[in-house]
Amino acid sequence: MKSFNLNIADYDIRFISTGPETNLFLKKKYNHFFSCCGNADITIRVHSGVLKPEEKAVRVFHAPYIKETENKKVKVNDEFWTVYKNKNDILIETILPLGKKNRKASLRVNAGANEWDLYISGADKKKDPLEYPLDGLLLYYLTVRSGDIFIHGSGVSINNRGYLFAGVSGKGKTTIAQLWDKAGALVIHDDRLIIRYINGRFVMFNTPVYNNETPRSSPVDKIFLIDHGTANKIVLTGKSEALSLVMANCIQHLWDPSLIESLTDVLGKLTSGTDTCRLFFKPDESVISYILEEWNSGRME
Amino acid sequence: MKDFSTFEKKQKIMIDLNSVVTPSPGIVPRKTGDEYVLVPVSNNIADMDSVYTLNETGAFIWEKLDGESTLAEIISCMQTEFDVDAETAKNDLLAFVAEMGKFLIITR
Repeated sequence: MKSFNLNIADYDIRFISTGPETNLFLKKKYNHFFSCCGNADITIRVHSGVLKPEEKAVRVFHAPYIKETENKKVKVNDEFWTVYKNKNDILIETILPLGKKNRKASLRVNAGANEWDLYISGADKKKDPLEYPLDGLLLYYLTVRSGDIFIHGSGVSINNRGYLFAGVSGKGKTTIAQLWDKAGALVIHDDRLIIRYINGRFVMFNTPVYNNETPRSSPVDKIFLIDHGTANKIVLTGKSEALSLVMANCIQHLWDPSLIESLTDVLGKLTSGTDTCRLFFKPDESVISYILEEWNSGRME
Repeated sequence: MKDFSTFEKKQKIMIDLNSVVTPSPGIVPRKTGDEYVLVPVSNNIADMDSVYTLNETGAFIWEKLDGESTLAEIISCMQTEFDVDAETAKNDLLAFVAEMGKFLIITR
């Protein structure tokens, strides 16, 4: 493909190949996220080659490459991806650890611009502009651009109510999503969500992670910070506690005070207008009836 | 008082109750109700799980770190605000300064 549009979390993203020798392709998990080539919110120009940070650019943030196997995290490489800043431009340089070796990519973003540039190295003429970790990085900086939230969480919708269960790896996001699925709820996603403020409501969206996923969304009516427990128990939180607990589950690159202000602004708005509590739960269907009973009793408000 | 000494050591200068202490630009405050959430600026994804919440007392102290008030003046304000004796206010303030030391700058 030379160009295509995707709609993820209500962001219309257009990808354009800039060279005659470069063709674009995507993995199957994006099949249901293609959209009509209308007005894009952002256009990503995909180039073949390498873009180095400019001399004046400052290295502001970096992440190691960590592999997670059998619930163990192992650091493979100190330098996975790095963020450089030069005036209003941000350059994210990353290795592409999956597939052929020794390949890199650079994403140049500018919060105020409608066109970003993506450079992918390697001899292959076919380029995947959303190859890991470009998918997460691109979506993250789209949320930054729009003042939205990218969070480790599972989300479900039942009886016109949307429940968000936030928790980092190992806290039970997938388990609780499966339990709600068995109970007849629509699972928005079981791992990560984008939350946007649209038409006066916070709405959670899935992002493509698994094959055959379709775009899903639901308003957020209740937020649970989840953890495993020996019994089902809801603990109400104060305002600042709610904000900091939800924030701890957000994907965040807080290398500049303005990024922190933007994220705390939107989280303050989310947690002040949405009931937020901690949920300790037993990994069985009892947690579903417990939540529904607590909701109906009004004790969660 | 032990933690307070650690703060003195980190700053490599002595502070006393006549010192003036202000928040560093490396931490961003957000007020929620009567409390504060403090988020440090970070350059590494591994350091990003340290968010601080300040209760009402902590929030009061934070707002008094205005670059003009000495620690002694803040203690006096705390006595009035919370109806506590000078020793209690001093201990609370010094504990706060020790806890948040790496996010504070001694300006005088």
